[in-house]
Amino acid sequence: MAFDLDRALLDECVHCGFCLPTCPTYAVTGDEAESPRGRIYLMDLATRGEAPVAGPVTQHLDSCLGCLACVPACPSGVKYNQLIESARPQLDREVPRDRFFRSMIFTLFPYPRRLRVAALAGVLYQRLGLRWLTRRSGLLGRLPARARALEGLLPPVRAKDLFARTKGTGTGQTRGVALLTGCAQRVFFKPVNDATVRVLAAEGCRVDLPKGQGCCGALSLHTGRDEEARAFARRTVDAFEGYETVVVNVAGCGSVLKEYGELLRDDPGYAERAAAFAARVRDVSEVLAELEPVARRQPLPLRVAYHDACHLANAQRITRQPRDALRTIPGLELVEVPEEKICCGSAGVYNLLQPAMAERLGRRKAENLASARPDVIATGNAGCLLQIRRYAEGGPLIMHPVELLDWSIHGTAH
Amino acid sequence: MRPASLAELRDAVRDTRGTLLVKGAGTAQGWAGAPDPTDHVLETAGLTGLITYNPADMTVAVRAGTPLALVQQELAAAGQRVSLDPARAGATVGGLVATADSGPLRHAYGGPRDLLIGVTVVLADGTVARSGGHVIKNVAGYDLGKLLCGSFGTLGVLAEVVLRVHPLPPASRTVSIPCDAAEAVKHTGRVLEARLEPAALEWCDGELLARYEGVESSVELRAAATPGGTRLSTADAEAAWRRVAAVGDGDLVVRCGTRPSQLPAVAAHATSLTSSTAVGVHTLRVADVERLRAEFTQVTVLGNKPGVPAWGEPHAAVPLMRAVKQRFDPEGRLGPGRYRPWF
Amino acid sequence: MSLTDLRDQLAARLGRDGIVTDPAHLRTYECDALTGYRVVPALVALPRNAAEVAAAVAACARFKVPFVARGAGTGLSGGALPVADGVVISLQRLRRVLEVDPVDRRATVEPGVTNLDISRAAAKYGLYYSPDPSSQQVCTIGGNVAENSGGAHCLKYGFTVNHILAVDVVLPDGTTTRLGADAPHQAGFDLLGAFVGTEGTLGIVTGVVVRLLHTPATVRTLVANFDSTKDAGDAVTAVIAAGIVPAAIEMMDNLAIQAVNATVDAGFDPDTAAALIVELDGPADEVEARFADLTRLCAKATEVTIARDAEHRAKIWQGRKAAFAAVGRLSPNYFVQDGVVPRTRLGEALTRIAEMGEQAGIRVANVFHAGDGNLHPLVLYSEERGEHERAEALSTAIAELCVELGGSLSGEHGIGTDKACSMPRMFSEDDLATMRRLRAAFDPEGLCNPGKVFPTPRLCGERPGPYRPHPLEAAGVIERL
Ligand SMILES: Cc1cc2nc3c(=O)[nH]c(=O)nc-3n(C[C@H](O)[C@H](O)[C@H](O)COP(=O)(O)OP(=O)(O)OC[C@H]3O[C@@H](n4cnc5c(N)ncnc54)[C@H](O)[C@@H]3O)c2cc1C
Ligand code: SF4
Ligand code: SF4
Repeated sequence: MAFDLDRALLDECVHCGFCLPTCPTYAVTGDEAESPRGRIYLMDLATRGEAPVAGPVTQHLDSCLGCLACVPACPSGVKYNQLIESARPQLDREVPRDRFFRSMIFTLFPYPRRLRVAALAGVLYQRLGLRWLTRRSGLLGRLPARARALEGLLPPVRAKDLFARTKGTGTGQTRGVALLTGCAQRVFFKPVNDATVRVLAAEGCRVDLPKGQGCCGALSLHTGRDEEARAFARRTVDAFEGYETVVVNVAGCGSVLKEYGELLRDDPGYAERAAAFAARVRDVSEVLAELEPVARRQPLPLRVAYHDACHLANAQRITRQPRDALRTIPGLELVEVPEEKICCGSAGVYNLLQPAMAERLGRRKAENLASARPDVIATGNAGCLLQIRRYAEGGPLIMHPVELLDWSIHGTAH
Repeated sequence: MRPASLAELRDAVRDTRGTLLVKGAGTAQGWAGAPDPTDHVLETAGLTGLITYNPADMTVAVRAGTPLALVQQELAAAGQRVSLDPARAGATVGGLVATADSGPLRHAYGGPRDLLIGVTVVLADGTVARSGGHVIKNVAGYDLGKLLCGSFGTLGVLAEVVLRVHPLPPASRTVSIPCDAAEAVKHTGRVLEARLEPAALEWCDGELLARYEGVESSVELRAAATPGGTRLSTADAEAAWRRVAAVGDGDLVVRCGTRPSQLPAVAAHATSLTSSTAVGVHTLRVADVERLRAEFTQVTVLGNKPGVPAWGEPHAAVPLMRAVKQRFDPEGRLGPGRYRPWF
Repeated sequence: MSLTDLRDQLAARLGRDGIVTDPAHLRTYECDALTGYRVVPALVALPRNAAEVAAAVAACARFKVPFVARGAGTGLSGGALPVADGVVISLQRLRRVLEVDPVDRRATVEPGVTNLDISRAAAKYGLYYSPDPSSQQVCTIGGNVAENSGGAHCLKYGFTVNHILAVDVVLPDGTTTRLGADAPHQAGFDLLGAFVGTEGTLGIVTGVVVRLLHTPATVRTLVANFDSTKDAGDAVTAVIAAGIVPAAIEMMDNLAIQAVNATVDAGFDPDTAAALIVELDGPADEVEARFADLTRLCAKATEVTIARDAEHRAKIWQGRKAAFAAVGRLSPNYFVQDGVVPRTRLGEALTRIAEMGEQAGIRVANVFHAGDGNLHPLVLYSEERGEHERAEALSTAIAELCVELGGSLSGEHGIGTDKACSMPRMFSEDDLATMRRLRAAFDPEGLCNPGKVFPTPRLCGERPGPYRPHPLEAAGVIERL
């Protein structure tokens, strides 16, 4: 069987084009095939067998960020997320490409321990300017654009953070929550996890960090590695069994956790539990919006540009809560940013697989953000943080909203 | 020739040979270049009267030779008007379209092109063609009516015209702001920014006039809210608007379109001037039209002074105008001399 | 000289990523929002600026290859349908707002800028670009100029043609010119006015100067429910006849409301037979006085809701503007019709349309610009159930009904490919031949978007539909000689 998507899903598209202006790749290229409408058209053609799967179909579906900006824009209710998610594994099966690079990413990212080692190499590389590492490494040598992408994404991590672990707060208070510490997140963003724990604790929560949790499967799912994703999902459901609220501070993970019901629908042992689990998942900003702010905040007289992470704004439709949370900080001013709904080009591992497009989007985003002259750029997703940090170099601080709250509540920027 | 029906008009054009001059009320004979003597003069004065008028549809179809004043009279009885107020009192509707003439109401309603929704035209070879229709919104086919705006009888003979109409405003009030041309630009900005929505905003020889139309309480409030303005009595307002219309009575009068903020530069050429300040359309008496043309390209000479060429350097679209003329009137029957030296 | 040579020349001028040649990729350009017509072009050009557009057109002219301009491809009449063996020239890379001039209240933009982005760029000065097609967030100003697009608020403020000061055009021979000027007074014929609305058949727009207006001082919006579309239609007639010029009067019937409610929560009553959205804007006092009249004229309304605040109003409009596409939720396939009737005949037209739908056994939803008499019956059908032909026939019959009632085949979506064959219902051969003279003056070779607007034997069969006396002629309103 070649390529086959649900006809009913495809037919929902009435070709009105309302999604066009929301699509980052279309904004950059102006090419119909790089738009949601064009991609659906290509999926339709491939499903009908009127276009080969290899060639433009694969090329233009690969370049989709999966940012899902097109979904809320569609008046006809097209479920583009479902279309692209079922298309991706079929592409992988039908059109072998990038095997080596893809599997390297998937053997690295979802596993904190392996990633630590790689990141440590990155730290050394950054610190010592060990060019020999690049030259010696056949992999990087063969894939220069991507190598640059990878390298550029390495955040300024402190070596001690790489191996330290975030600790929960033990004392019980108004609400008990369990925090997903993530995989890439755990390694690169320990400070964000720490801040999350501190802020939630200050607002009266008991925060647990369940053992046995690992990658949630987001990276695999967004790039069409379904089976792998399901294995991660089962493990996560098990790890969080018994917790009333599952808190996530990475938008990309949150959106996948909330889809577990769908993902494990056909697994009799997990279907029900997965759906129940999904219903308990909350982004940290949602939890904060549900809580009365109790901790005293100190004023932060800052201009803050909030960047909507796609997986928060489009996949989870969360745009108000993080802004509301930031507005609880006295003196803080939220500034408007042009093209605020356009993706920054990070999109999971997209910036590794499509570095040229990711770079164009990253620069565009950085320019738009810079035009608002913020002191701080706040965004609720690890990928966005990395991507924006890369292109907004030398400019404003880039922080997770909980870090700002932490700063305001505890008086120091950690 | 003075046809009294569309059929007679068609026959008059089709069954004659030689050049033709179309003549409405004759109020703009000298505009846009003196016509050469022609073999025939075709008067539209026989083509008068309303064809259809259903007030609730807010459209009216009239024969092209009908004086606008007559149309206004008929519409007023139903509480409506054509929102067009050119200075030339006796002008026919067809003549106003052909000359693209308008008055201060252009501020809110535009000119004939903006009110015209359908035309019937007889071409030089006797072809009768319609475009548009009887409804205000219509994009079926090309809009030949717009093409005929400013054609000065060189593309075809207008036989029938369909216009959109508006309700007559229940009340109106004019405010005067004495100021020079440069200040007029600033005052215009203020009136617009204050969202006072005047129906006309006209600077004429040292005075900016804002006319408000609408329900009585509202026009009075807006008049009072006009920055720097003095409310005029009805009689004073009428006199002021007569002064605006009278600018066109000079020896050498031109109409000129520019960016609105260029008013002072245009006014520097004028001995008398009236301008729709938000629109950038000026009517002025000038001594030296060439000097004006050296600075501004969109200039039409109204009023015929021997020895003054009606048009200056051809602008970018003149070759296209010639191509259109060639297709509509390949033999050059209609209005020879008009548009000289461009045609 | 061949298409291959043309392709090589274009590739040399526009660069490899400036042209599309792969068959599958080309197919994404085979239709606009009217998907019933599809033609795969030989080539798509994606120029980046006016000079590249001119070069592309000049190359087509040299090789005598037909070309079609394409904006956002939201046209609903097949205006941007490619020509087989022809070139599609997309303007989607010309998307810069070049200037917003708050003093002279105008903006200069490239043709690929969306309608809404002009207003966004002007917003900081309290200005906006007035014509507001429902597709404004996506359709381009170039497409708007080509179609003379309208929108809900055109009732008071006028259509695209009333808001364009000038356009830069690449003529079909590859030369460039400017139509219009700094002010709406041009020395010469109103070529700009004649150009707007010619559906891309006279040249390609590469720059547009639009007028900007100040946003109105006050806006008041109400939603009035009615027991029947006829009652709602009569209310519209009454409002217009009373001398009120609302900023907008829009109507939605029950089916349309159902579709909208599934998309946007704007609070439309799911049980009402019809709803009117009426908006007044302008100076506060004027609006208040008229608003009172308006409420009185909606006497037959079963319920009148007044928009609480700007947010509520925005929701109402968001719902209204999503209506066409939202109908995709009700029916797998549908045609969007676009006819105009005199405003006194709205109720009658709606009744007749309902009857025709019933006879054909096909559902028709209505959502339209009632104040202009501009109907948009949405003919819902299913390809799968083999209803295509019946639905198409019904849709065409509705457009022709509009002509019969003294109206027009199209109020804003254009004739394009879709209605070219119906043109003889509205215009005589002489009328059409005269329009063609204008076309020939601009495009003697007939290369620019051929096959649109005018009936051709190829599209309409050997003989384009027989001429029948125009209804106005039959009624003695016009004479046909
Ligand atoms: C859901 C929906 C709602 C709509 N609502 C409205 C509405 O309320 N009012 C309304 O008027 N229309 C409406 N439309 C129709 C459509 O959006 C308009 O006709 C719009 O102007 C088309 O713009 P576009 O950029 O998509 O042009 P396209 O569809 O790409 O092209 C339309 C025509 O313009 C020509 N063209 C495009 N760009 C240029 C250029 N630069 N130079 C010369 N020719 C050019 C093309 O050749 C074609 O003939 C709607 C469409 C949809 C899908
Ligand atoms: S908005 Fe929805 S229906 Fe319209 S083209 Fe995009 S996906 Fe298709
Ligand atoms: S998911 Fe994002 S990149 Fe992909 S089609 Fe939708 S808007 Fe475009």
